[in-house]
Order: sequence, then C-alpha cells, then structure tokens
Amino acid sequence: MADLGRAALLVTLVLCLYACVVGTVAAVTGRRRLAMSARNALIASFGSTVVATAILVAGFVRNDFSLVYVAEHSSRSLGGIYKVSALWGGQEGSLLLWLLILTGYAALAVWINRNRTRDLVVWVTPVLGGIAVFFSFLLVAVATPFATQVAPLDGSGLNPSLQNPYMMSHPPFLYLGYVGLAVPFAFAMGALLSGRTDERWIVATRRWTLIAWTALGIGQLLGSHWAYLEVGWGGFYAWDPVENAALMPFLAATAFLHSVMIQEKRGMLKVWNVVLVSFAFILSIFGTFLTRSGIVNSIHSFAQSSIGAWFLAFIVIAVVFSTVMIVWRLPLLRSKTKLESLISREAVFLYNNLLLVALCLTILWGVVWPILSEAVRGDSVVVGRPYFDFFFRLFGLPLLLLMGVGPLIAWRRASLRGLGRTFVWPAAVAVATGVVLLILGAGSSAPGLVAYTFSAFVLAAIGLEFVRGTRARRALSDESWPVAFGSLVGRNRRRYGGYVVHVAIVLFAIGVAGSSAYDSVVEGRLAKGEALTVSGYTVRYVGLSERQTDHATEVRATLAVSRNGESLGALEAGKNSYKIAGPDPQVSSEVGVRTDYRTGEDLFVIPGTIYDDGSVYFRIFVKPLVNLLWLSGIVFLLGSIIALWPDAREQRRLAVRYAAAGSPARGR
Amino acid sequence: MPRAPRGGYPQGVARKRSPARLVIALSIAAVLAVFLLYTSIAGGGTPSVKPSELAAQTGPVSLVGQVVGKPKGDANEEGLRFRLRDVKDPSSPTVLVLYKGSVPDLFAPGRDLVVEGALRNGTFVATPGTMVTKCPSKYTAIKPSD
Amino acid sequence: MTVAIVLSAVLGAVCVVLVALPFLREPEPVSDALEEMTPQRQRRLALAEERDRALSALKELEADHRAGRINDEDYRASIGALRREAASALRALDVVNEKV
Repeated sequence: MADLGRAALLVTLVLCLYACVVGTVAAVTGRRRLAMSARNALIASFGSTVVATAILVAGFVRNDFSLVYVAEHSSRSLGGIYKVSALWGGQEGSLLLWLLILTGYAALAVWINRNRTRDLVVWVTPVLGGIAVFFSFLLVAVATPFATQVAPLDGSGLNPSLQNPYMMSHPPFLYLGYVGLAVPFAFAMGALLSGRTDERWIVATRRWTLIAWTALGIGQLLGSHWAYLEVGWGGFYAWDPVENAALMPFLAATAFLHSVMIQEKRGMLKVWNVVLVSFAFILSIFGTFLTRSGIVNSIHSFAQSSIGAWFLAFIVIAVVFSTVMIVWRLPLLRSKTKLESLISREAVFLYNNLLLVALCLTILWGVVWPILSEAVRGDSVVVGRPYFDFFFRLFGLPLLLLMGVGPLIAWRRASLRGLGRTFVWPAAVAVATGVVLLILGAGSSAPGLVAYTFSAFVLAAIGLEFVRGTRARRALSDESWPVAFGSLVGRNRRRYGGYVVHVAIVLFAIGVAGSSAYDSVVEGRLAKGEALTVSGYTVRYVGLSERQTDHATEVRATLAVSRNGESLGALEAGKNSYKIAGPDPQVSSEVGVRTDYRTGEDLFVIPGTIYDDGSVYFRIFVKPLVNLLWLSGIVFLLGSIIALWPDAREQRRLAVRYAAAGSPARGR
Repeated sequence: MPRAPRGGYPQGVARKRSPARLVIALSIAAVLAVFLLYTSIAGGGTPSVKPSELAAQTGPVSLVGQVVGKPKGDANEEGLRFRLRDVKDPSSPTVLVLYKGSVPDLFAPGRDLVVEGALRNGTFVATPGTMVTKCPSKYTAIKPSD
Repeated sequence: MTVAIVLSAVLGAVCVVLVALPFLREPEPVSDALEEMTPQRQRRLALAEERDRALSALKELEADHRAGRINDEDYRASIGALRREAASALRALDVVNEKV
C-alpha cells in the first residue's frame, strides 16, 4: 500500500503544479474553462491527499511496521487513539497533515467563492496551488512518509510525553491556524495580481482569518496546558523558539484582524493590511520552519536536515513575491481618507497595531538573533527569559489598556470633554481596584498590580458597553432586558463577539499575572509522615505505591492535603517508567495538581528525586488564579463563535452592494 | 545618489499630512530607542559555549554539552556533580559541573543538555534550576539515532 | 503490489476526468472568456463600497449617540460631514447607473 501512498502524493504534486501553472495561464489569457479546470485540479488535490493520509493512518492502525515512519512512531502496545495521533508525531507525518489541511482549506475556499468574486478567484487558485506545490514536493522528493523496510517485530513507540490528549489535539489546532493564514494571504495576492484592490478580498476572507486565528490561539493554550501538566516545571510558557513560532503569527494575525476593520470602516490602511497579511503568512511558514528544520538546536542540525534549506528557499520566495506584488500595486492601494484625529477609534486601532507588530518583531529578533549570531559570527548566544519578559510587559501592558480605551472612543474623532464623561466609570473602577489590591498586598509585584488595574479598567469599559447598548435597545424597542441584550449581540455579532474575546484576553492576563507574579513555592525532602506548609496549605507525605500498567511502571507518592486544619483529601504525584525497547528507560514526572474551583487556585506538586529509603524530594507551588488561563480559552472560543456566526443581515447588505456593481461580483 | 528635491509645492505652504505617519514614525523611533537601550544594558543574550571553549569565558554563560560518566551527589542537597563534554566529540576536554535544583526527567549519561552558570576555580557552578535537557523530541528534524 | 498499481491508476484517472470536466461538459462553449470586471463595474463597486461605508458610519454614530457614548456636541460636529459623504456617494452611484 506504500506504493499507492507514494502515487497519491505524486498525483497531488502534479495537480497542484497544474493548478499553479495552468491557473496562471488561464487568468492571464482570460480563458474560462481553463480556469475552471485549474480550480478542479486544486479541489482534486485535496482528494488525493486524503487518500495518502488514509493509507498512512491505516498503516498505524494495522501496525504495519514495514513503513519506516510507522515503525519509528508507534508500537504494538500503543493505545488505540494514539495510533492515529502518532500520524503527526514526526516530521513527515506533520508535513502530510500540513498538506492535508492546506488542500482542504484551498478546495473549500475556491469552491465557496466559485461564483462570487470570480475575477479574484481565478488568481487565488494559482497562488494556493503554488503554496501546495511546495509542500507536496517536500513530501514526494525530500521527506516521504512512505519509505519502506523489512518489518521489525515491533515499533520504537511514541514519545511518552506525546501520549496525552493535549499533544493529540495541540498540533492539529496549530496547523489549522498556521495553514488557515494561507487563505487570506492567497486572496490578498489574488487581489493584487488581478488589480482588484476593492474590499472583496477582505470580505471573502474575514471568516478564514478569524477561524485561523482562533485555532492558533486555542492551539497555543492547549500547548500551554500540556506544558503545565506534563513538562512539570511549574510554568506554562518558556519563551522557547518553538512556542514563539506559534505566538508570532498569532500576534501578526491579531494586528491584521484589527487593522482590516479600519479599512472596512474608513477605507484606510490598504497597504498596511496587505503587508500584515503577508507578514502573518510568512511567519506561519517561518514557524513551521523553526519547528521542523531543527535550526533551533543549532546551525549544525539545520545543515544535516535538507528540509531546512527548502523551507528557507520557500520563505525567501514568499517574501520576494509579496514584496514585489505590493510595490507593483502601490498606486492601486492609495487611500483617499486620512486619519482625522489622534483621539479616535481608528487611532486606537493604529496604536494597537504598532504595539502588536513591535512585540512580534522583538520576539522575532529574540528567536533569530541566536541563529544569526551563530551563522555570521560563529559564536552562539542564548536570548533568555528576561529579554522576552521585558518586552512582553513593555508592549503587553499598554495593549491591555488599549482594549479598554478602544470601545469607549467613537470612530473618526472624539472631543476630550466627551471622553471625560465616558471614561469616568471605568477609570473609577480601575483606581478603586488598584487601591484595594494595594491594601491587600498586591504591591509586591508592580507589573502584577498594573496588570490588575488595567484589567479592571477593561472589564468595566466592556461591561459599560454592554449595559449602554442594551439600555439603548430597550429605549428603542421596549424589549425586556434579556431580549434586548440578546438582540444587541445578535445584531452586532462581530463587535460584541470581539468584546467577549477581549474579556478572554483579560482573564488570560489576570491568570498570567496571578500565577507568575503572586505564586509561592516551598521545597524539601520528606520522609513518610513529614509535611511541608505553603500559603495556608499543609501537604503531608503519606506513602509510596507502585503499580504496573500495560505501558509503564507507575510509582506514586500519596499526599494528604489540608488547609487551615481542614482536610482537603489526597493527592498523588510520581513518576512513570515506560516499557519501551531502547537504550535507556523513558521516565516522565507526573505532577499532582489540586484545583480550587472557587478561587481558581492550584496546589501544584512536582515530585523530584525518589530516594531508596522511601523519602521523596518535593517542590510545591501555590499558583493563584492560574485556572483563569484555561477558562479564558473557553471564553475566547465563545467570543470567536459569536463573531463567526453567519449574519443574514450582513449577507443581504453585501448582496445589495454587489448587485449595484454588476454581474461578476455578484453571487449567482 | 543625490537627494530628490522637496515636493512640487512652494516652501512654506503647509500641506496637510496624515497624523498617522507622524505617529508611526515616532513610535518606531521610540521602540528602536527602547530596544537599543535594553540590549546595550542587559545585553543581547548570554553567550552559549561548549565545554572545550569554556576556559576562555569569564562571565555567565550557557553551557551546552553531553553528560559523560556517572553523576554523583544529590541535586537537592550538596549538589549534583557530573562531567560534560562537547556534543558528538568524544575527544574533547570535559568539565566538572556542580548543579543544584530540579533535574529534568531525561537527565542521564549520554544525554545532551544546556545549563547556565559560570566557571569558578575549574568547576562550572550552575545557576540552580537552569538545567534543560535537549530532548530527543520527535518534533525536531534530527532523529535521536543520528 | 498489483492492487496498488491498479488503485493508483484509478486515482490518476479520476483526477484527470475531474480536471478535464469543464472541457467535457462544454466542448463548444458560446464564450470561453472570463467575465471581465470592466472599469465601469469596478467604479460602481467602489462607489457602492463608499456608500455602504458612509451609511454604516451614520448608523453607528446614531447608535453611539443614543447609547451615550457620544455627547450631543460631538454628535453635531460629526453628523453633517457624514450625511454629506453618504449623499455624495449615493448621488455618484446614481450618476454612474444612469449612464448605463
């Protein structure tokens, strides 16, 4: 079956090449049937990629160790569902997943828009085809997942740290996000290529951008939660290049989501928007490059894997291509309107954009500098946590504040006097919160206190926004409070969905500040019966037990937890030794976490050394409010869904607009 | 290349410019200033060295190496002692490392790791809690067997 | 092995048919030209976008004023210009449409 897999990938490559080359010819010469044929090729490439993926998945399910990839990432003892997720446990499979999502997105995007924005789509097809050519070429020629061998008796198994529901879902979500950015990029390039720089490319890709962005956000949060529970060092984000690889496109996409609104509302920032969408897309490729090429470890491992050079070449091509396109079409991107005032909604959006891009670029520098330094000067450096923390606070805190300022300021211009009135309440809430927190002792961390004060301001501003809107609706329609609230959100889904997302970001900020600025830690070696005390909790080490499962030997220390004399039950923490054939046993620490759902606080126990005499070295953290991080993910998803929900009113408005313009723009 | 002359309108006539440009220019200048200030004060990063290059370093560095031999001692008490040599270079000189704090699960002889600290009297005294193993993760390009 | 070859051939054939479909369906089309977005249509679309922008800005200003986000003074300062903008966009669109 490996032959069929290889053949399917080859077919994908040919189809994508066809879509790219023939699609370009069709668009240039204006031949309708040829353009449709290129579009069909792009759609068919999804089908053949599905076939290839299905064959690899079948290889995993049937323990077909004659496939090298299956043998290296699975074993007979691997649990059921992980046999499927092992698909993205390695290089080749991850690339295949990339291609699968890319062709899937591409097929869907050209199919949905086949009758709308037809003059754009003829150019979108070759761009998407071109991107897919790169990935299918890699899979055919450089990193085939269908290499075969004489089947060994058993595979070498999946890295135990990846045998986890989070690691199962984290990569697909990230890829859904990364790859999703290819669609707005392709439409932007399609708009430039066709010279149709009206708003249609933005209207057509609004949802794509939002979906990709949401998936990136959720994917990163899943990754953080995984790191928190599995890596067991007590944190959730380490500014690792591989983590930053996902954060950078997320930040660029966030900036794009906001700046695109200024173009819709005011017709400004057309150049900036194409630059941002290209930047976000290139960062997503760069992110894949970082995680896949091994360049993060060192230049040498980069040189060893040929895949890095291909990625680098593709990034260079993408940068050159988008730059040339933007410069070429600069005359078409001039906007007639100007920023009227520095105190206006669009000005706040502009500040937000500058901060996001600045944050993104400083992170990029922190990631690239060690690589450049090693490549150019020959001596390697490490850019550590302090650098990232510094710039994260420097740009992140003003960003947080702007989230509260934005909703309070009107478009176009606002007078300072008018602003004073709208700012009174949120500012009062913020100051009151700051004072109360200061009294409670939150002054121990200045950034933490600032973050909380700003958070209070944003929450008050958003709350006020909802109250005012609902009140105005009630004045208009005599509806009851809940009905008025419902119709307010329903009629302005993007705006109020956006506010819900802002609430999520605030929850996230509160969680980050709480768990990193106000945590407490205690550590020590405990014999049976001994206890450690940390911020009100007493953790007593009761005993050690060992159990055997199919995959691992699990050693667990049982701990009795109490707070202020009141027993809170037992907690387990320990180590798993996995039964995998190999040079050394694979061990993983299993932390013990007790969540207080009332306060959002975690008691977090890391098992250190387990000594022969039965004593154990423990590190115990108390992390206040850390669960708001995970809650923020749910709120974030909710807000995105509200903003994404189809809006019939908006569809009608667009239909009227396109009817006014005449046939090719209109849906038929 | 000679500078292009100013725009075609007479000097002194104020052309109304978008304030956006001013804001963008000012903020880029501000960000650059902060960035340069930060990197010049706090440094652009810690140098990363191999055990064979360690002798030339005086300040704090990030040491990358491979664990050789059996580690001794207890990281939670008087400190874990082990030797590191250059990754993939069996002939390189080794250095004794003294480390306290949490030890990653993957720590073992033969494993590559990174640890921060400074050389003191021939022993590399590590900053507690900075040890990171370069994990043979399946998410990187090189296979552990390479 | 042979099964794989046969299946690969089937896959390839299906894809070829899909790609050729537009030509199979319309062997002799009345017109094989892509619908052009004529300059006039582009102009109309641009005007329609401008009109929608102005109208939605007006709507938003009204809503903001009602909700109390904007005081009377700011409202009066903005409303005139916005109305003029919307009116001129509507008028321009009418002019272009009459020419057709």
